[in-house]
Amino acid sequence: MPTTTASLTLTSTDLLSDSLSIVTTANLTKAGTKTGLSQTSGLARKTLSSASSAVITAEPLFRGDGATADGANKVYIKNTSVIASEYVEIYIDQEEMGRLYAGDWAFFPWKAASGTKETFVVTSAGTVAAGDSWDFDGVTTVSADANSNNFATAVNAQFYPNWTTTVNAPAVTFTARQAGAAGVVTSSTAITGDTITDLAGSDLTMAITSGAAGTRSESDIFVKPSVETEVTVEYMLINE
Amino acid sequence: MPTTTATLTLSSADITGHNFNLTSTATLTKAGGSTGLDEFTGITSRTYAAAQTDTVVVADSIYASTTVAHKVYIRNTASGTSDYILVELEGNVIIGRLYPGDWMLMPYGGTLDVQVTTLATGVTIEYGVLSQSAAS
Repeated sequence: MPTTTASLTLTSTDLLSDSLSIVTTANLTKAGTKTGLSQTSGLARKTLSSASSAVITAEPLFRGDGATADGANKVYIKNTSVIASEYVEIYIDQEEMGRLYAGDWAFFPWKAASGTKETFVVTSAGTVAAGDSWDFDGVTTVSADANSNNFATAVNAQFYPNWTTTVNAPAVTFTARQAGAAGVVTSSTAITGDTITDLAGSDLTMAITSGAAGTRSESDIFVKPSVETEVTVEYMLINE
Repeated sequence: MPTTTATLTLSSADITGHNFNLTSTATLTKAGGSTGLDEFTGITSRTYAAAQTDTVVVADSIYASTTVAHKVYIRNTASGTSDYILVELEGNVIIGRLYPGDWMLMPYGGTLDVQVTTLATGVTIEYGVLSQSAAS
């Protein structure tokens, strides 16, 4: 059982008329137990920059489906800038928590609630012919023969950057790698973003036989820098 | 100009295959400058006789907002294992659960209330706000 401690020391000799000294230490344990948190992202760094101030975007640090929901997860974020005016805004559930100015750090618990992943089943129908193809997620599968089951197997064998697949030929089930409303499945049976090439005029279709739209996570953590020039954040997740 | 520092020490000998020991110290200044934060609520200790739902512990209406470097500190002082405090921002923006002994220090923009929800009776929390008297 790992033992991890987090200590805070807050001190000031002149904020009040008396010296301020607050010291507290927490043993970081799993929810509801005395067992230590066992996983960590490790201490990481990310340098944020943009082409111009007009296109500064918030970047994700932690996704809600990357840790146990409702756990005793802890997040550390630091703005390593030494320029006083440079800050990063911390966002959770699309709301700004606050700003970390140069040198500031934050340490807070994280609910890590996941959304749901979009999923759909596509089934080849009609007559597939050698040379027919289906393009989805930037990946093109070309049929080697006139066997629809073989075509489904070939579709499943591809690597899709944003989806995982399983096959029960001729049906292929696609599941998004990340939770969210990706917009591919827009209702229970609709799909956008695919292209069929039916070279042989064989009436190939890739029909959606079932599907469900995803929902976004409400606990993704994003950071948005104040300037387009490089701002580096340090961050770490300690989780269940 | 007050000088207040916040030091975090994170350490573990066994959460990874090597010793981990991080120390980070921040001098708490107003937004965008080198002038120290000039306000402090003190540390409030509250024991809730009954379970709480979305109880406001930091009200945004009394703080400058947006261009600020406020910090909010909250600690669950319980000694058991299960009586957590759920910390949220106004509008059901859930941050996370503080289990007994856990603490947090987060930046605060002064635009949303900070709320807590507790399940058990007799839960005691500590909280305080280090802030700037006016936006920068």
